[in-house]
Amino acid sequence: MTLAVRDGVRILGHAPTTPFAGLEDAQVVQAFLDGHERAFDELVSRYQTRLLNFIYRTVGDRERAEDLVQEVFIRIYRHLHRFDQTKKFSTWAYTIASNLAKNELRNRSRNPLVLFQTIKRHWEADHRPLQFEDSSSRPDDLFRKRHLRELVEQSVSQLPEHHRVVFVLRELEGKTYEEIAEITGCNLGTVKSRLNRARNNFAAIISPHLD
Amino acid sequence: MNCCEFREKYSDFADGLLTSGEHAEASGHLAACAACRRFEAALNAGLNALRSLPRLGVSHGFGARLRHRLRGELAVRVPVVARWSSAVGTLLLVAAVGYIRWDLRESHEMQREQMARSASGWHPAPLPLAANAPFPVPSASHVRVVRASFEPFHPLNSILLVAQSAPIAMGGPQRLDLPAVWGGP
Repeated sequence: MTLAVRDGVRILGHAPTTPFAGLEDAQVVQAFLDGHERAFDELVSRYQTRLLNFIYRTVGDRERAEDLVQEVFIRIYRHLHRFDQTKKFSTWAYTIASNLAKNELRNRSRNPLVLFQTIKRHWEADHRPLQFEDSSSRPDDLFRKRHLRELVEQSVSQLPEHHRVVFVLRELEGKTYEEIAEITGCNLGTVKSRLNRARNNFAAIISPHLD
Repeated sequence: MNCCEFREKYSDFADGLLTSGEHAEASGHLAACAACRRFEAALNAGLNALRSLPRLGVSHGFGARLRHRLRGELAVRVPVVARWSSAVGTLLLVAAVGYIRWDLRESHEMQREQMARSASGWHPAPLPLAANAPFPVPSASHVRVVRASFEPFHPLNSILLVAQSAPIAMGGPQRLDLPAVWGGP
């Protein structure tokens, strides 16, 4: 069920709309700090899908990604009173998410078998989200499209962790270089360098499979 | 510009961050190099496919689980005011205990002195009287509160006597200045 479209992103799920729906993030934050608990529901509604997709593309495990998104909101709830309101709330939320995702990958890297099994499990057809096929396309075109989608997902997961985070933030979440620098704690030059390498690697992985 | 240089600068080229001269140079290389054109085509096809992947939505019970966890957070959160109040209260209690201990020590010292003087046969001189006083009320400049030395030693008695004597001694309860008031041996 699509509840709303915000920033070109469909907000899915069953999140209820709140009286704060028309306000900017900074105003919603202030409303929460002023004692309106429902303002926090609005922040959850706005960011749950974005953060889920970001973390999922970074760690590759849907269930774990959802747990981590919950953890992000717990931390936001705990520390919102200390949030510097001159900064963008979005950047702060993504920073927390990025750190949790990196910690998750770091913990998993100590057990490579767990990582491999997790990624492999989620590539089986029945674990992938339902996709509505284009009935006007030829079967071989549909096969190629599905194959390409699998390929690009695999390509992203093969990128080194620090390249992958920057790549997902830029190409899928649409963040600017400055925002990515703030989220990842790197300088602008490092962000550009990592993004360039990620793009090159990504193209190199998928290029042999394209016509 | 060769292929390596083009690939190194590709991100800036794609994002429009090169100078006009560098952009022209990169565009010229791209037009002339089939390998780099294949690279750009593969990258764009991959990115289009990636962006067309369905966006995940949170599962059905996500909101309920989160609210449950947040209720747990709220339960352990002590309101800031209560936290500060308890901190201030603790400090006041510590200060009060410290004062009482100091007061006890001082009273005990005074009692020992008085008992020592009584034992040696020394008696205090009469209190000087204020001039033109309707009744023999000692002048505040000379006489201050006398703590009971015959009451059983109890901290509460010390505090009560100080409180009771305060209206009599002008300027409030103060320590007895023995060498100045009482005649010494």
